[in-house]
Amino acid sequence: MPVASMDNITKKVKEEIDRGWIGPDIECPYHPCHFIGQDCTFCFCPFYPCNDLGLGDNIAGRLGKPIWQCTYCLLIHRPEVGRHVMSEIKRLGIQDPKDPRMRDLFNDVKERFYRKGRALMVLGATSDAGKSVTVAAICRILHKRGYLVAPFKSQNMSLNSKVTPIGSEIAMIQTIQAKAAGLKNPDHHMNPILLKPKGDTRSQVMVEGKPFGDYDVPEYYDNFVPGPGIEAVKRNIEFLKQRYDFVVMEGAGSPAEINIYDRDIANMGAAVVADADCILVVNVEWGGSFAYAVGTVKLIPERDRGRIKGIILNNVLGNPSNMEPGAEELERILGIPVIGIVPHADVDLPSEDSEAFRGMSSRGSGGVRISVVKVPRIANFTDLDPLYMEDATVSFVTRPEELEGSDAIIIPGTKNTIDDLLWMRENGLDKAICSFKGKIPILGICGGYQIMGRLLKDPQGIEGKAPQTIEGLGMFDMVTEWDEYKKKVIQDQGCLLETGEPVTGYEIHMGLSEVNEAPLFRIDRFKDSETEGAFRKDDMLFGTYLHGVFDKPAFRKFFLSFVKKGGKPVKMAEPKDYDDHIEENIEKLALVFEKALDIDMLMSIAEGRS
Amino acid sequence: MSILFIGTASGAGKTTVTAMYCRHLRRKGVRVAPYKAVNLSLNSYVTQEGKEIGMGQAFQAWASGLKPSGDMNPVLLKPSGNGRIQTVLCGTPAGDVTEKKSMDAPLASAVAYEAYDRLRSKYDVVVCEGSGSPVELNLMDRDIANIGLMRNRRVPAILVGDIERGGVFAALYGTWLLLPDDVRPLVKGFLINRFRGDASLLDGGVRTIEDITGMKHLGTIPYRSLKFPEEDSLSDSDGRLSGDNAEEAFMSNIDALLDAALEAGVDFQAIERLH
Repeated sequence: MPVASMDNITKKVKEEIDRGWIGPDIECPYHPCHFIGQDCTFCFCPFYPCNDLGLGDNIAGRLGKPIWQCTYCLLIHRPEVGRHVMSEIKRLGIQDPKDPRMRDLFNDVKERFYRKGRALMVLGATSDAGKSVTVAAICRILHKRGYLVAPFKSQNMSLNSKVTPIGSEIAMIQTIQAKAAGLKNPDHHMNPILLKPKGDTRSQVMVEGKPFGDYDVPEYYDNFVPGPGIEAVKRNIEFLKQRYDFVVMEGAGSPAEINIYDRDIANMGAAVVADADCILVVNVEWGGSFAYAVGTVKLIPERDRGRIKGIILNNVLGNPSNMEPGAEELERILGIPVIGIVPHADVDLPSEDSEAFRGMSSRGSGGVRISVVKVPRIANFTDLDPLYMEDATVSFVTRPEELEGSDAIIIPGTKNTIDDLLWMRENGLDKAICSFKGKIPILGICGGYQIMGRLLKDPQGIEGKAPQTIEGLGMFDMVTEWDEYKKKVIQDQGCLLETGEPVTGYEIHMGLSEVNEAPLFRIDRFKDSETEGAFRKDDMLFGTYLHGVFDKPAFRKFFLSFVKKGGKPVKMAEPKDYDDHIEENIEKLALVFEKALDIDMLMSIAEGRS
Repeated sequence: MSILFIGTASGAGKTTVTAMYCRHLRRKGVRVAPYKAVNLSLNSYVTQEGKEIGMGQAFQAWASGLKPSGDMNPVLLKPSGNGRIQTVLCGTPAGDVTEKKSMDAPLASAVAYEAYDRLRSKYDVVVCEGSGSPVELNLMDRDIANIGLMRNRRVPAILVGDIERGGVFAALYGTWLLLPDDVRPLVKGFLINRFRGDASLLDGGVRTIEDITGMKHLGTIPYRSLKFPEEDSLSDSDGRLSGDNAEEAFMSNIDALLDAALEAGVDFQAIERLH
């Protein structure tokens, strides 16, 4: 916010004071801009700039002048605070926002309402124990009880990232958990370290949403973790605790990997920093759950073991009451209560892990067969998730002959466009895809879009292993160039040009494209708009940089309308907004947990009373 | 002589490790037979004598250079839906178990251990496979295939942990801790299964488990994507195995896994000394 607009802020606050208390402004087109249930009385904070370093900080503005920034402060939007501040303003008869009594009011409000939050951590005995869904469920349970809740995972390894409103990259799963917490804007504090595997032994390490450096495993543990790693965890947990009632943290893998225990900042290391009490989740599906629980607790050094205050036996397929005698015995052995025996929840939420995806050859059993080229460095494959709601079978193909019988083809995003194009060339998938041109719809997303172009220039070897220029599939008159080591990361919203219906998405790419094709979308920016993507209607060719392009129904419906069976378009049910689908499933998940968990015990652990 | 492979969970790799060890002994010319007291599976194999056993034991029999026989899996439980489970004893159907009518445990264990004894008298080594996790707190007092076998026949055991899902040290330690005092000393060593990467990274953890349990680390088996015969394509509607090439397909896989384990330094000699 420019300094010059301070007068403008004062004017707005004056208007707010004149208007009086309004509660949540559900008619505002941006509502809720922070969280579900927020108070909108003060869209502009009457205490700005409060200069309270627990709520905001000074950033360098133009001309080097410091500017007070408090984007992440939610205090004035808490329902009880908005109401109280307005009633006090009225009671005191304050009319001018610059009234000196406003400072006293601020101090009084802070004293009365501001409490630093607590952290609660969900650990898993294994990968796939159900940590992510447990965090999502607890976020929703606490949100429904009126608390401000933030999810947190210190370190996440994932190829599925999403872009926040300010252009930071965080793991997709934390955005789902934030949604469960009723938050509108997931941000990089919720996943300060993101590891993106590069396909060899190295990973790109992102810190607070921005690229930090590339590391292999020993370098990561020796150089990154003890320094910038632990600092990032500390800084961001503290940040969230200052703004939320609860921070629900998710561990990574097992906390009892004793060969790396002292360098593990994703589990007990983070719990110690956050002073969090922990809940251990064990997946009972594979058997051995009691052994996993006992072994995990007992292998954690005594100094940290006491943080584990509850156990959840998760994913019970049969009758949960059959587990009760075992659960009682487990409580007796460990002296830790089992706070829930949770049945298998049949929900459809995006999966964080690529492990499950890796072995998958198809999904769904619908009539329309959509072939997705499973490039070796596939990235952001959650783009495909909304397709699973449709009457479609999504097949993942790695060989040309598998394309036979396709009704549509998608070339997805990749962590390395050039290497994956060369892979397609080697096994003949490039020619095979071109043979379908004009017969069935073909879509390229991000890296897949770049692959559909005419030329890919990498004069400095930024994307590929060496400087090179290679030909793409030539479906679009488009030249992509990797000119400098720079990454475009941005959230987009706009519309599908053909129908004018809304589309949202996000871009994460290196390499910029010169495109001489009819565009697919209009993207609305802050002040103006631009066009995006490529579209050749006659040849049914589609290309876009937008990840998440299928989330809103418009483009999904449009793309599938080109699918023909026996010369006729296929009739499909009216597509649903994927966001609504996610919301329904979060709610379903939370209900399963709410029914199975001892909520009093959960609350006493969350509040540190346990 | 005999040895028992128990697992930290279902799917820890007991069946494969048992088959691999059978193969190893067979290569050395030892007369070896596989055995799994209780199998809960829909995938069964019908022997030449018309006996129905779990498919895993058929694989293990082939690895041992034998024809599968009923004694190799004396108790087979086949879930038939609606909470009913068909009981097959020594290859012959013996009625259903339901929520109300539970299994005749003394009969089943008697049948199981008699079959074990017959195999013992016929072969040099019986390589046994446990069932599920041996320490399911809600089930372990009724156990036949793990604790039951150890307790009744004093069979030395090796614990197999799967590292793929993480938490392998916890799984090994927790399983060991929860075993009853009378059988715990029979668990002499452990194997880490499905490892990818540089095994030396595990050294510290492996050493700790050895120190606190006294179990010996017998090796770390590398991850191999095993192409086992597709169970469904080999089964008719009864879930019975009827394919011809299953044996061949399985054997080439198990040979490759054994070679990989040998190369990775799994201490087969130490395992042999435990029989």
